[in-house]
Amino acid sequence: MSQSDDKPPTFPAVHYLNADRGVWSWLTTVDHKRIGIMYFVSVLLAFLLGGIFAMLLRIEHLTPEPTIMGANTYNRMFTLHGVVMIFMFMIPAIPGVFGNFLLPLMLGAKDVAFPKLNLLSLYLYWAGATLAASGMIMGGTDTGWTFYAPYSTSTPTTLFPVLLGVFIMGFSSILTGLNFIVTIHTLRAPGMGWMRIPLFVWAIYATSIIQVLATPVIGLTVMLVGIEKVGHFGLFDPTRGGDPVLFQHMFWFYSHPAVYIMVLPAMGVISEVIGAFSRKNIFGYKMIAYSSLGIAFVGFFAWGHHMFVSGQSVLDNGAFAAISMLVGVFTAIKVFNWVATLYKGSIAVKTPMLYACGFLFFIVFGGMTGIAVATVSLDVHWHDTYFVVAHFHFIMVGAVIMAFLAAMHYWFPKMFGRNYHEGWGMVAACFIILGFNATFIPQFLVGNAGMPRRYFIYPERFTSLNVASTAGSSLLAFGFVIIVFYMIYALVRGPIAGDNPWSSRGYEWNTPSPPPKHNFDTTPIIDRDAHSYQEPGEEVEHVVI
Amino acid sequence: MSSSEAHAAAEHPHNPHLAHHFDTIEKQDTAVRLGMWLFLGTEVLLFAGLFLGYTVYRHFYHHTWHEASRTLDLGLGALNTVVLITSSFTVAMAFYFIKKGKTGACAGMLVLTILFALAFLVVKSIEYSHKFAEGALPGQFYHFNEVPGPGANLFYTVYFLATGLHAFHVIVGMSILIWVLVRVLKGHFSPSYYIPVELGGLYWHLVDLVWIFLFPLLYLI
Amino acid sequence: MENKVSKPAAPSSHGKEHAHGPGRYFVIWFILLGFTLLTVVTGRMDLGAANLPIAIAIATVKATLVVLFFMHLSESGGANRLVFVVSLIFVLVLMLGVFGDLLTRNPMSLPSGAPNFDISPESRIVPHP
Repeated sequence: MSQSDDKPPTFPAVHYLNADRGVWSWLTTVDHKRIGIMYFVSVLLAFLLGGIFAMLLRIEHLTPEPTIMGANTYNRMFTLHGVVMIFMFMIPAIPGVFGNFLLPLMLGAKDVAFPKLNLLSLYLYWAGATLAASGMIMGGTDTGWTFYAPYSTSTPTTLFPVLLGVFIMGFSSILTGLNFIVTIHTLRAPGMGWMRIPLFVWAIYATSIIQVLATPVIGLTVMLVGIEKVGHFGLFDPTRGGDPVLFQHMFWFYSHPAVYIMVLPAMGVISEVIGAFSRKNIFGYKMIAYSSLGIAFVGFFAWGHHMFVSGQSVLDNGAFAAISMLVGVFTAIKVFNWVATLYKGSIAVKTPMLYACGFLFFIVFGGMTGIAVATVSLDVHWHDTYFVVAHFHFIMVGAVIMAFLAAMHYWFPKMFGRNYHEGWGMVAACFIILGFNATFIPQFLVGNAGMPRRYFIYPERFTSLNVASTAGSSLLAFGFVIIVFYMIYALVRGPIAGDNPWSSRGYEWNTPSPPPKHNFDTTPIIDRDAHSYQEPGEEVEHVVI
Repeated sequence: MSSSEAHAAAEHPHNPHLAHHFDTIEKQDTAVRLGMWLFLGTEVLLFAGLFLGYTVYRHFYHHTWHEASRTLDLGLGALNTVVLITSSFTVAMAFYFIKKGKTGACAGMLVLTILFALAFLVVKSIEYSHKFAEGALPGQFYHFNEVPGPGANLFYTVYFLATGLHAFHVIVGMSILIWVLVRVLKGHFSPSYYIPVELGGLYWHLVDLVWIFLFPLLYLI
Repeated sequence: MENKVSKPAAPSSHGKEHAHGPGRYFVIWFILLGFTLLTVVTGRMDLGAANLPIAIAIATVKATLVVLFFMHLSESGGANRLVFVVSLIFVLVLMLGVFGDLLTRNPMSLPSGAPNFDISPESRIVPHP
């Protein structure tokens, strides 16, 4: 289990990274771990692209009048930022990278159920991302990532490659979700009943259900937008008898559950990290597991809260508002259970734990502002202002990206067998957490004061808050830059970590780090619960890791 | 601990179809079937959006849509329904035969199914050409004077989109069945391994299922 | 699923199927044809508001027969059935949510209630690049 203090940590001679050599062996691999690493590189590139456009938007907002760009360019930039961040980073990141890498390891399996389909998912992601990104950059798409009709069906800017790219990426997402569901159902090791699977696996399971059920609807919707743009058949065009709000219903039927595709895996990561870094059995395992399913389920019924001011009926407004608040209940269940896990635990103050604590802070405030905007009477004031922008960035950046970084640091030794520099990790975490707050808290204030979103200029009285937000974003960006440097250093010259440097009880740590190509020589037998650090009644073990 | 592997090795000394990460062929088959049903679930959700469009606009333009629906050729539509249902029957029989090891009969049934699929497409294209000639086209191309008024063009929009997407799936399903047929003729399948025939059949049944709903909604009400 | 330690047995795909003849497929086929005839006949009759529910009901019966017997869902594992049923449920959720909106919206915001329907395409505002 844990490494003994006197023996130096070992590094396996042959592992999944060096088992086969050459670029071709990577491009045609069916090894879930290699596919996870390729997703890793890809989503980081996507994050870089989306982040550059975010910084450009923030620079534009340094002054109330046009700073570095005009109106049309601004529209193109926020479209790019949104599409890249959502479809090329947020949706695939944690499932594609950590789901792929860890799921079979956590289940005691040798691979996912359909390894070749897994590779196809990766190819589709690459194809869709390239299409969409090049379409936007070369064609100047300016509809926003929400492609609302009737503007999307009549904009002179390029839309087809973007729509097709989104469709193809959606297909990738569906196949990944399908693969994961079948893997969890059929490839659990003997002894691993449903109540023994790690909480990260529960989270991925719930996420995969959403991916499979919701994504086809967006596939159809973008297809219809493309057809409408060419044919002007009138599906969403009021001059031909159509209803533009129908587009919004269809779009948000996917795009709201999509945010749970983003957040559920993040919550799964946090369950793993909090358990490992408080060295305590997870409090309320069943509640956390069921609440993942609950969020996935209820999340399907809440899409109309994006449409409160679109002309949707009062009845639907009220119903969607009430259901949206229910999601908060499930989230709160998780937060209370995590805090109860931390209570009287042996807390290890390491970088993953810092990010986990950041996550807890951001999910609470992001979630509470979510309840606030779910209140119809308040959202009438806040809709399409920076208040909503700040709310969803609190969740998507504050919560999900903190979880991504926590996962990256927690499982870095597992994936590469080396340790990153803990001191620099903490420095970067501080920059990121503080920078994030400095970026987005002013946006709550300025949004509440009435600054609309997606406008390239704003009234003078909002200047100081915008400047503060941009200053914060540079801190945030700086934090990411620090991470890039010490992580690359750790990859090539980091100290050997050994099989289980965190002394974690996660099943995935039972293999060498980095793991061998086929994970296990023989199928392991599971004889204990996941996240089990103590027997019932046993005291928490206080160790320094 | 290796008793699981020893057990698997004893039961299936060397099953060429067993992937290395599955312990037994039964587990692999269960997994593959679950995967297929999940995929069928996604197809249901894909068509859901078009059924939604149908429901919404039928509600708005009830009377006009009733009139427009009467302009569709009920005889050809009913014929297509019979054709697809029969093709579902033949593909189910193909699956039955291969489980019994009757490769020839299985191949024959698959050929019949593919022919029925072709027949469906032919009838559909006849219907489409009628509509093109009449001017009953989607959106801005609509110039069919017999059913005027707001909402009529939308009927044909939904009609062409729904049956078009369905026809695309017919073509895909047909291609899958042709591939399965080729493998049947090459002798790849037997009573101990026939899962691709089963999965191809499942996809074809889904194509039939969608039409079972499209037919009454478009042609009858 | 199973928790046995020594033998990773799975619900055998062979075990769950009953050995039955081809007759049942013929029977289902004939029933489906019969229901098709029924739906064509009732569809062309004027039954007022009942036309739609009857047509949907008949289609549902036909679909159920195809799913249960041609697709063997009646012999299949619980997970497969759950998947199919849940996907159908979510189609209904989509429809219910949208219909809740449509039926209770202000009539002016509905397409067929628009005051000036015949706006020519030329008079619509097109954004300049």
